[in-house]
Amino acid sequence: MSDSREKGDITRLVRADNHIQKIVGEYGLDCFPQEFDVIPAQKMLEIMSYNLPVNYSHWSFGRDYEKQRTQYEYSGGIPYEVVLNSNPSRAFLMKTNPYPIQVLVMAHVYGHNDFMKNNIYFGRTRRDMLTSASESAGRLRKYEEQYGIDEVERLIDAAQAIQMHIEADLFQESAIQPESAEPKRRPQKMGTPFADLFDFDGQLTSKSFEEKRDEARKLKKKIPAEPDPDMMGFIMKHSPRDFEEWELDVLSVIRDQSIYFMPQRKTKVMNEGWASFWHMRLMSRLFQDGFLTPEEHGYYNLYNARVLASNPFGLNPYLLGVKTFLNIEKRYNAGQFGPDWERSESPDKWKTDLNVGKGMEKIFEVRRTHMDWFFLDEFMNHEVVEESELYIFGSKQQGNVEEFTVEETNWSTIKDLIVRSFAHSGVPLIKVTDGDYGGKRELYLRHFYDGLTLEEEYARQTLRHVFSLWDRPVHLETVEVEGNSETRIQLTYDGKGFSKINLGTYVKE
Amino acid sequence: MTVRQMDWDFSKRGQEDVARHQKKIKDSIRENIADVISEESIISRKKGQTVKIPIRGIKSYQFIYGKRKGGGEGGGGYGLGHGKKDKGDVIGRRPAPNGEGDGPGKGGKPADAAGEDYMETEVDIEELIQMMMDDLQLPDLRKKEIAETVVPSGWSFEDVEKHGLKPNLDKKRSFKNAIKRAADSVSKLAEKTGKPMDVCQKALNKFKGDYQKALELLQTENPEAELEEQEDKLKPFIQHGDLRYRVPKENTESHSNAVILAMMDVSGSMSTTKKYLARSFFFWMVEFLKHKYRNVEIRFIAHTSEAKLVDEDEFFHKGESGGTICASAYDLACQLIDTDYPPAKWNIYAFHFSDGEDWDPAKTMLSVKRLMEKAPNMVGYGEIRTEVAYGQQLMRNFEESFSLERYTSYRDSDFEYYLAQRAELPLAGVILKNKGHVYPALKVFFSKEKRV
Repeated sequence: MSDSREKGDITRLVRADNHIQKIVGEYGLDCFPQEFDVIPAQKMLEIMSYNLPVNYSHWSFGRDYEKQRTQYEYSGGIPYEVVLNSNPSRAFLMKTNPYPIQVLVMAHVYGHNDFMKNNIYFGRTRRDMLTSASESAGRLRKYEEQYGIDEVERLIDAAQAIQMHIEADLFQESAIQPESAEPKRRPQKMGTPFADLFDFDGQLTSKSFEEKRDEARKLKKKIPAEPDPDMMGFIMKHSPRDFEEWELDVLSVIRDQSIYFMPQRKTKVMNEGWASFWHMRLMSRLFQDGFLTPEEHGYYNLYNARVLASNPFGLNPYLLGVKTFLNIEKRYNAGQFGPDWERSESPDKWKTDLNVGKGMEKIFEVRRTHMDWFFLDEFMNHEVVEESELYIFGSKQQGNVEEFTVEETNWSTIKDLIVRSFAHSGVPLIKVTDGDYGGKRELYLRHFYDGLTLEEEYARQTLRHVFSLWDRPVHLETVEVEGNSETRIQLTYDGKGFSKINLGTYVKE
Repeated sequence: MTVRQMDWDFSKRGQEDVARHQKKIKDSIRENIADVISEESIISRKKGQTVKIPIRGIKSYQFIYGKRKGGGEGGGGYGLGHGKKDKGDVIGRRPAPNGEGDGPGKGGKPADAAGEDYMETEVDIEELIQMMMDDLQLPDLRKKEIAETVVPSGWSFEDVEKHGLKPNLDKKRSFKNAIKRAADSVSKLAEKTGKPMDVCQKALNKFKGDYQKALELLQTENPEAELEEQEDKLKPFIQHGDLRYRVPKENTESHSNAVILAMMDVSGSMSTTKKYLARSFFFWMVEFLKHKYRNVEIRFIAHTSEAKLVDEDEFFHKGESGGTICASAYDLACQLIDTDYPPAKWNIYAFHFSDGEDWDPAKTMLSVKRLMEKAPNMVGYGEIRTEVAYGQQLMRNFEESFSLERYTSYRDSDFEYYLAQRAELPLAGVILKNKGHVYPALKVFFSKEKRV
């Protein structure tokens, strides 16, 4: 009985999907072919915690999976959606969701599909990550058998600790080279500059010692030539530690996945905003066209409200994203743009209504060219902040109670904070400035302080991981703030313990 | 078709990694056992063998931004939120993560919004005990080998022998033997001579049970004539071979009893926090001893300037006014041992908690000495100094009177303990300054016992 009912459900979903495809085309969305897999809740939760349908094993995924499961059990059917950046686009529908929710998710997915196909930051990402990840999962499993789970785990721990510190030019061919499909070749090692003073049987080569020494001095300056934000790549290439082939493979797998997900990290608000913007349009159409009964439409409305709900303790990217897109659409339809309008000091400029109808065109353009940082910087205005009802809250301890109060509602202060936290995808900017610090092949990292300090305990623990990859003392230069004074410090981990050097204090007026 | 049903094989990976994570949590509990076991939720659990305790989640460390200091005193983090609100509106409250208050185990609730990454984990008390046993290296406790004490329980005569002392003659048994032998002889005589049973009986009676003489008579021409006057009733004539003597035997009994004599100063200076440390300590002490003895009892001796037996609730929760004479508690403990817990049958563990104040330490030392003479397994004294110690420290008197040596813990230099220099003296002293000291205190107490 359930078999035939399931078949009936699928038939209905296929009909809805065909119709959505039709209207998606009419609206001008440009999508990859879309595939939907209807899967059990457990598998859905697994994909959400592993980021991919099949991925390598690690305790952190187990932790996230358990968290997801608990949340799922308590929440009672949130309309989960997972869509993967691939061609054809693959998305998952949770078997237990009722029909109107499935349709909502499908409509939402088409928005993501269009976004990932057209946003320039996705232009160079690998669309074959699913196959690649499942292959690398197999290889890592073999490494576990061969070298032991603990050994592999330690390496993954360390790799994950620095996986955000990558830099891949998303517009360049090199960023999409399939790197982990095959075990990695060892990259060129820095070696000692004196190595080729001797040929293989130990004879002195033609270069004089002085020549080599000068070369070495030059070389020393060059590593890295410029501060290198790609900490992970740098370590893989230049670590004094002799990585085994399999170790480099593990590092590459994690690095490649991090690169793969980078565009998604950079466009979370836009991507969700765009998808929400479109599911709202598409769902209205589906209702008009008779694909949803009034009850089903009511059910959808209920869930849509949950997706866009105000979270009193956190930023809702769906809400902020959709409000921003709606605001762009509105302004460009009304003619609230252009140098003259921008320059105008009149508060009435927000009431301009020239009915120029440029809204659609503009949002399609923005979805192509922007990422969150620039998107919010350019388009988040007082209207968006007010419509999203954003505020900054703080916490205070009152006796035995911690109290959260609204501290700021001023839109430009809020925008400032949001834009700053979206800079560099929310990852502190830390660059390798010296791979041969003190002439002892020690690693020197510098945090480019921009007003936000690092969490010290996390910094220390991460440094330990860096040490395990570099095998020699590692240094981190950062800033500590105490009241009005900012102190530049150098935190060092040498494999046994930490030390901290004060590099100078600056007191603000 | 673009929509399809995928009945994925349930991959085991999710479950496997959940198990890997769980193992890491267990390791973390093991590492932080001192903090874990002093969690209030453990001793206040309703029932059952599992408890929920907050432990710090296993984190994935990365370089992240720190929490910006919020405004005002004790400012915590800050964050962004949505809602129609004005400046100054309160959007939420929760118990403070690190309450300044005196109560233990406050806060530490799993954080929702912007707080610490704590998670509630269910742990089996038994599992915690096993972890502690491993750490304490108390294999004798770990194996749950019940310790038994054998004591004499009087005399009994269950066996008998053919030789013995006259006083131990078993008359009844000897008599029975004689009857049995007489009956046997009659049957044999009847068989051999073909005479009726009553004639044989008469013959036997005539010769006072002598089988040979009876046989000879019966084999003559007309024995009936000679036997007319004899009775034909069976008469036992006890002979030497019939005698049985009792064997005296000494009896023994096995016991597996332990009693904890929990003593505590309950005068005003002992705050809730201080009492909590004692409570946590006694809780685990009972759990430990349950692994060693079949029967574990705990008696609560509360004292101010006088000591009295109270129930658990009163012991831990009710304060009293009055002075402080610790000797009173030790005296009552001695008295209890005399009346209820003879050391021959009971393993005695006495432990006294105070904050160091005592109006008559000299007298207390005499009382402690008397207690030590009662052959207890272990005696411990715990001085609770949750505040900076000023005033009297009874530990000093222990140190002098029993030549205790002062040590500090290798793991936590803040933890001090005192052990008797004489290895065989089952006495230990500990100083508890915070919750984290409960565990090392237990460790000292039980390790010392092991060495005694």
